[in-house]
Amino acid sequence: MLGRFDYQRPSTLPEAGRLLAGNDGPAAILAGGTDLLVDIRGRRHDPRILVDIKRIDALRRLNVDSAGALTIGAAVPLNEMIERAAIRRTLPGLVQAAESIATYQLRNRATAVGNLCNGSPAADMAPILLALGAHLVAWSQRGERTMPLSSLFVGVKKTALAPDEIAAELRVPAPEPGLRSRFLKQQRLRGHDLAVASAAGTYAPTTGVLRLAVGSCAPTPLLLEPIEVGRSSKAVVEEKAVRAVQAAMQPISDTRASADYRRTVLPVLVKRLVSDLLAEGGAP
Amino acid sequence: MPSGLTLIEFLRDRLYLTGTKEGCGIGECGACTVLLDEKPVTACLVLAVEVDGCTVDTVEGEATDGQLSDLQKAFVETGAVQCGFCTPGMIMSARGLLRRNPTPSDNEIIEAMAGNLCRCTGYEAILAAVRLAAAAVQPVAEPLTGETGTERRRFLRGVESTRKDGWR
Repeated sequence: MLGRFDYQRPSTLPEAGRLLAGNDGPAAILAGGTDLLVDIRGRRHDPRILVDIKRIDALRRLNVDSAGALTIGAAVPLNEMIERAAIRRTLPGLVQAAESIATYQLRNRATAVGNLCNGSPAADMAPILLALGAHLVAWSQRGERTMPLSSLFVGVKKTALAPDEIAAELRVPAPEPGLRSRFLKQQRLRGHDLAVASAAGTYAPTTGVLRLAVGSCAPTPLLLEPIEVGRSSKAVVEEKAVRAVQAAMQPISDTRASADYRRTVLPVLVKRLVSDLLAEGGAP
Repeated sequence: MPSGLTLIEFLRDRLYLTGTKEGCGIGECGACTVLLDEKPVTACLVLAVEVDGCTVDTVEGEATDGQLSDLQKAFVETGAVQCGFCTPGMIMSARGLLRRNPTPSDNEIIEAMAGNLCRCTGYEAILAAVRLAAAAVQPVAEPLTGETGTERRRFLRGVESTRKDGWR
């Protein structure tokens, strides 16, 4: 027995909203449960009610529209995203990030929205979604609001969501034609591990803009200022990108790596990203 | 049904289906892998109440009428079972794989099985077993001649090539 909590499985958002706003003790949202149930078992979390959102149709939507804009519902498991051909084709960086998470079994349960809402600075879905300019739609009985993803992260494992709010869906804008995207994750071992350092980037050949975001090197995932590549050489762009990440990062030493290691490896990841994204004749 | 009862607790303690094993309880070892609506999941991180209306396949469903399944026979044949504790989870991950992809490449097998840890075998024999079952080659006993011998030699070459290339 994991604990003594009540379990509710609403079939609509309003029902879920009522449960979260209710007075029966702290409620927690259950999607994949791959973080929540581990936290409950480890006594780091003690909700009175689990609100299972997996039967709410609106939250199960994974939609790619004709322009390539993406809607990812809160209850969409990572594997469903990974296996969607249209996403693999247009947003390979997003698929790389999802594939780097945990194991196949866990990816049948874990969700992208859940990964973000855990608020870890090491959240694997954060850097690429930040670079892609994603927005998060949060829903509650009080109404709906949309925020740029960067506003979600306020501190280590702290998000801007109110206790009665559900992160309902992610909206990723239609990628520019020929957009390239990549995600790189430094781990201690090949396989199931958290990121010791991570970096994601997108490059739009049509606009010449490079967007970079990094993880596991600050209290929150960080979106860096976009870089206008223009006619600059790769070396110049790499230099700019490295200086940007060095200025922004505040790495700490923890059980997985030292601050020094992170300071050393982040510029390497960023340089590899720039090199890959700017490569002549590169595919998405 | 208590809300806090996990699927693995339900399977083992209520239904007495003790084929599914608990290794870590936090989804990292894969020993408790079952198929939930055909998808491999770790039963330690699923609540029993969540599976209302779903299908759950466990290792007890592999053998029929006392006959081991193709996967089970392959695991025995290649020596993929040492202590046996990871085996039910390995079998269920492999079963999930073969149902959705009957002809997996080596890389696809590795990616599908990477969520299942084994402390005994070093994984080579397990990969050979999945390859063997996927190739639908009937594991046979001793002969090295005739038709069954051809099958046997093919199997042995498969195991050997696994050893040469390493499990990667």
